[in-house]
Amino acid sequence: MQSLYVEGTSIMHRLPARSKLLVLAILGVILFTTRNIALLSLGVLITGAVYSSVGLSSGQAIARLKPVLLTILVVALFSLAFNPWHGAVVALLRLTALMLFAAAVTATTTISEFIDEVTLLARPLERAGLVAANDVGLAVGLVVRFVPEILGRYQAIKEAHTARGIKVRPVTVLAPLIILTLRDADNIAAAIDARGVRRHVS
Amino acid sequence: MSTRDLVLSALFAAIIVALGILPPITLGFIPVPITAQSLGVMMAGVVLGARRGAIAVLIVLVLVAIGLPVLSGGRGGLAAFAAPTTGFLIGWLFAAFVTGYVAERLVKSEQSGLVQTVGFFLASAIGGIVVLYALGIAYLWVAAGVGLQQAFVGSMAFVPGDVIKAFVAALAGRAVMVGYPLLPARA
Repeated sequence: MQSLYVEGTSIMHRLPARSKLLVLAILGVILFTTRNIALLSLGVLITGAVYSSVGLSSGQAIARLKPVLLTILVVALFSLAFNPWHGAVVALLRLTALMLFAAAVTATTTISEFIDEVTLLARPLERAGLVAANDVGLAVGLVVRFVPEILGRYQAIKEAHTARGIKVRPVTVLAPLIILTLRDADNIAAAIDARGVRRHVS
Repeated sequence: MSTRDLVLSALFAAIIVALGILPPITLGFIPVPITAQSLGVMMAGVVLGARRGAIAVLIVLVLVAIGLPVLSGGRGGLAAFAAPTTGFLIGWLFAAFVTGYVAERLVKSEQSGLVQTVGFFLASAIGGIVVLYALGIAYLWVAAGVGLQQAFVGSMAFVPGDVIKAFVAALAGRAVMVGYPLLPARA
């Protein structure tokens, strides 16, 4: 799985992940407190400039955000059709600015930097006995490792269906796919415990 | 949480991600392709139960946030949380939990196949439709500035597809329960 990180040396790349996430959180709060169109437009311009500075080609930069941008547009148009125009424009600008900055953070922060931050965020939860913070990295690693496996398994089940002349239907494919995948869990869990990866678990 | 529960949740998270990558499967009787990952969210509930199902979805949301393109269509990154439909994305977490919670209470292993399937369908519909849409619509209303009534009407267009998904999730949940039961051993 290819991450959305982009190699580069822009200012955003050099900033620590924590400050970028903090700025994103603060930006979210600020954007939702103002209804001033001029101010929000300025916000879109600035975040747009930040996003364009991360080193993506303009085609790529737009392609990445197209689905989110489309949703924002559709909802704004929908809202415009029934509500006063001011509200629709405010929502459009607000979400666009937030999306641009969020995309800039995503493009300039590596997965491992993110995992460090998520782990840090999970620490208080760990003290409350809810999760073990170090499990975050383990879970992420497991998913990244197993997605290709599941895709391969799906292909094999599909071919088995075709070979037997059975039509490929969601239920007849999904059930064996889930069972085969979850059956691995015991072996994987045993392997993880045997290596002492989760030392805190007795 | 035991290592086994963590691994089960992570593997199910991988299944939800894979559902977004797989080419669409068309149902025999209705020309609606089943791609959406919300099917995976319902299945996480009916297969793993409330707690593990919610953790599986939580792992997917963490993957989205850290910039892996795990949502259907290769979407991902923090920008996915800045869309008007973000309420539906975050709602997945509660949808999986409620689906699992209802399934754990409705479905017993000694029931007949039909009763189990109906129980799973109700669980998927309550969690994956009622709870999910309530949160999604509330977010559209509050954060995206769409009127409550418009948000409701606009979202209803997607309900028929989700009813079909709840049905598929119920059949898959029942099949997994027969083949590899996980739900009775509550986590």
